[in-house]
Amino acid sequence: MNQPVPALEIKRLTASYSAKPVLWDVDATFPAGRMSAIVGPNGAGKSTLLKACLGLVPVDAGQVTIDGRPAKSALDRVAYVPQRDAVDWDFPITVGEVVEMGRYPSVGWLRRVRKEDRRIVAECLERVGMSAFAGRQIGALSGGQRQRVFIARALAQQAPLLLMDEPFAGVDARTEVALLELLGGLRDEGRSIVVVHHDLGTVRSFFDWALLLNVRTIAQGPVGETIVAEQLRRAYGATAAAKTSDDGLEELAWAR
Amino acid sequence: MTADDLTVIVTAGLVATACGLLGPFLVLRRQALMGDAVSHAVLPGIVATYLLLDTRAPLPVILGAGCFAVVCVLGIDALRATKLVAADAAIGLVFPALFALGVLGIQRYAAGVHLDLDSTIYGEIAFAPFRTWIFGPVEVAQSIVVNGLVALANLAFVYFVWKELKASSFDPEFSRTVRISPALLGRLLLGMVAVTAVTAFESVGAILVVTLLIVPAATAHLLTDRLVTLVGLTVAIGWICAGAGYGGALAADASIAGTMGLVAGVLFGGALFAAPKHGVLARARRRRVAQRTVAAPAPG
Amino acid sequence: MGSLIDLWPLNYTDSVVATGALLLGVAAGVLGTFAVLRGRSLVGDALAHAALPGVCVAFLVTGAKDPATLVAGAACAGIVGAFAMVGIERSTRIKPDTAIGVVLSVFFSLGIVLLTAIAAGDNANQAGLERYLFGQAAGLVEADVNLMAFLAAGSLGLVVAGFRPLKTTLFDPAYAGATGLPVRALELAMTGFLVVAVVIGLRTVGAILMVAMLVTPAVAARQFVARLALLLPLAGAVGAFVGVTGALLSSRAEVPTGPVIVLVGFTVVGLSILLAPGRGVAWRAGLLRRERRRALVDGVLLDLEIASHGGPPPTQAELALGSGRPERALRRGVRVLHARGWVKDEGGRLVLTAPGADAAHDLVARRDEWSAWLEHGWRLRLPDAREPDPRDVRGSLGSEAADRLAAFRAEAAA
Repeated sequence: MNQPVPALEIKRLTASYSAKPVLWDVDATFPAGRMSAIVGPNGAGKSTLLKACLGLVPVDAGQVTIDGRPAKSALDRVAYVPQRDAVDWDFPITVGEVVEMGRYPSVGWLRRVRKEDRRIVAECLERVGMSAFAGRQIGALSGGQRQRVFIARALAQQAPLLLMDEPFAGVDARTEVALLELLGGLRDEGRSIVVVHHDLGTVRSFFDWALLLNVRTIAQGPVGETIVAEQLRRAYGATAAAKTSDDGLEELAWAR
Repeated sequence: MTADDLTVIVTAGLVATACGLLGPFLVLRRQALMGDAVSHAVLPGIVATYLLLDTRAPLPVILGAGCFAVVCVLGIDALRATKLVAADAAIGLVFPALFALGVLGIQRYAAGVHLDLDSTIYGEIAFAPFRTWIFGPVEVAQSIVVNGLVALANLAFVYFVWKELKASSFDPEFSRTVRISPALLGRLLLGMVAVTAVTAFESVGAILVVTLLIVPAATAHLLTDRLVTLVGLTVAIGWICAGAGYGGALAADASIAGTMGLVAGVLFGGALFAAPKHGVLARARRRRVAQRTVAAPAPG
Repeated sequence: MGSLIDLWPLNYTDSVVATGALLLGVAAGVLGTFAVLRGRSLVGDALAHAALPGVCVAFLVTGAKDPATLVAGAACAGIVGAFAMVGIERSTRIKPDTAIGVVLSVFFSLGIVLLTAIAAGDNANQAGLERYLFGQAAGLVEADVNLMAFLAAGSLGLVVAGFRPLKTTLFDPAYAGATGLPVRALELAMTGFLVVAVVIGLRTVGAILMVAMLVTPAVAARQFVARLALLLPLAGAVGAFVGVTGALLSSRAEVPTGPVIVLVGFTVVGLSILLAPGRGVAWRAGLLRRERRRALVDGVLLDLEIASHGGPPPTQAELALGSGRPERALRRGVRVLHARGWVKDEGGRLVLTAPGADAAHDLVARRDEWSAWLEHGWRLRLPDAREPDPRDVRGSLGSEAADRLAAFRAEAAA
């Protein structure tokens, strides 16, 4: 049988800070051309999993393949949207310049940005509806607009796989839905998207595939089979224990 | 204005250029005080070069001092890496120790000979016109040649790694994923700061180097939201400090380096209050407008 | 102070210097600790530089060089500098480190301008103001030491009197504010402590090196104790030791006191960071090495156990391929297993011995217990806030809890 190559595949990944394992023998597969969510309680190792895939944190054991190639040699096929808490919003930089950073890997060290790159930047800004803001300083934007800028930067990398770490933290519900629809559009164009996400409600309505993680892989598969009360209770434990109604799911979504 | 006056101003202006090209990045990376640390830590290198090689020629001194600048940066990094010492405390531990070493060296072995402690701090920029090199028919002050070369080197550095410096200063996490190592760029930047500090230290003294690395960049940061403009403004402010500072020092018969620093302080104070968007007055005005809008309900 | 000065087995001048260094060490050690714990170590650097123009102005205004006047000038300038720093930081986009740098360099520039202006004027009395730049302990007289003692005693008295509110504010300003403490005033007091410490030390170690006196004792003491009530006196003691040792060494070698004190302090910090029990670099390096080795050996043992289930015992190369471990690490792990007698070599294939198989099963059982905790731990009601050790759930939670976890697991599997 000719099985399609998954966008991202993780085999027996183990990572630890001193003695306590953060990720333990994690196996995960994210299919190409889908929108996948990584879901799990606080401290489940979700962000660490993404960083481990990109080689940003040391790993004790395991293999990561991107498009069937070892992750190390396939980093140009990934665009990463990190968490935003460390950024200095007073930095003297415009929206256009931030998005332009997405072109840096293809421009290469020491070289200047080309005309062609600027065209791509303009396109990506257009795609996320931020063209009118290209000349603004990054700090003058709202939280949702900033997130659009970082999505545009990831788009500018023109990578088929998009990894995003909690992109909707600190974004209001209306904007979250708008951004999710935007991501859905990108998926429909053939990109693979993996998002660390905490809102179980929107996972069910917007994502195709989910990995439930709590240090180990609890469950993975199509959202309809993964994000079900029984599995969630296994992953979230105590949070779910307080909710014993027939469909704990909705309440869980609010409890998070 | 005599040729000697011009030599002093141009020397200071070149130091201001060299510092002004790097200062904005130090300020934006929250490493402003690393400039302070490195500028002080080079003293033992200068002393050691003098004691071992019996010379004050620029090149050996720069090499010797450069070694100690590297020791300073690596020492601070190592202390931080233990996670037993906070980042700022690490700075406060390492550079005084190195500076103390230099002071001891001067006072024990080199007192009154050719090195004198005061001049390392205030600098002896007034002597810049007296040490010259002769290239064919022209006689040029050594300080102009040396600081000019450093300013050029810094310009080349900032020009060639502009986008890498920008990306790694703004978003280190992201820049690691696109193979622009923030740690590597941080080291390169501090390396250039060290070279700048060493050469400038020789001609203008430590305190003016620290001032020119931090204060013009902080002033410019209050005035603009564009990185290119920020760097350009910083250099321009540096030249104003050089010119106005020299004039002021002549008028008041006071330390040249000190007066230049003071001009930088006055300009910073001006920007602090009057900067069009980010100054104290502008902020207060915005707050007042906001309050009035809330207080007065919209008509109709 | 006369009595304290007489206690030293030294000549009069050296005794005065040693007493001064002792007072400076205690005061800077205790008062500097607050700055270090608040993450503002370098504020002391700025304040020390800022004190210089104060000294000059005091001299220009009064024309006198008596220590009390100059100290008052230094203190005023320090306070102005402190307010300038806080003001810049609070009211604009300038970050704290840049604010420190701006205040430091501008005030110091002003100080140098004033110094040179004073030197240019023909005031016969002006010589010696440069001492405040680099410090000159040898010039200390009994009057200086008396003033230092007065300031040190006063500020240490305030620390003792206000210990509890200071501690609360230091640890959690928001909570301190909620309980009705005057947080702003207390934070101001801590900055005030720094100003006092600076003016005590300025004459002895000078503006540029003063920051080391503030930071060194706190950092060294912190490696050994974790409670503020112990940290403050220990920092004072470290400061005293560093000060006196430096003063004695420098008078013996006839070199300036300030730099020697700073270098002694740096040595003390270096040694404590390296050797502090339970925390130092040497101790943690050992721990990390043992942990890594243990993780490696456990991992290789499990790989081997898994590999030998699926077929014939693997060769080392097969094992490397299956586990994805680097060849070198794998070889090291196998060597340890050999040494323990857990594995033997049969014609190039690695075979688990009986004790080896037992160890592997034990390891699997322990990991299963941890898995069970991750999955079902929420259903356990534990008597207290104990948390499991991933390697030894049974040992850390107790047998009863471990048995119930096993039961939950069996129930889930059924």
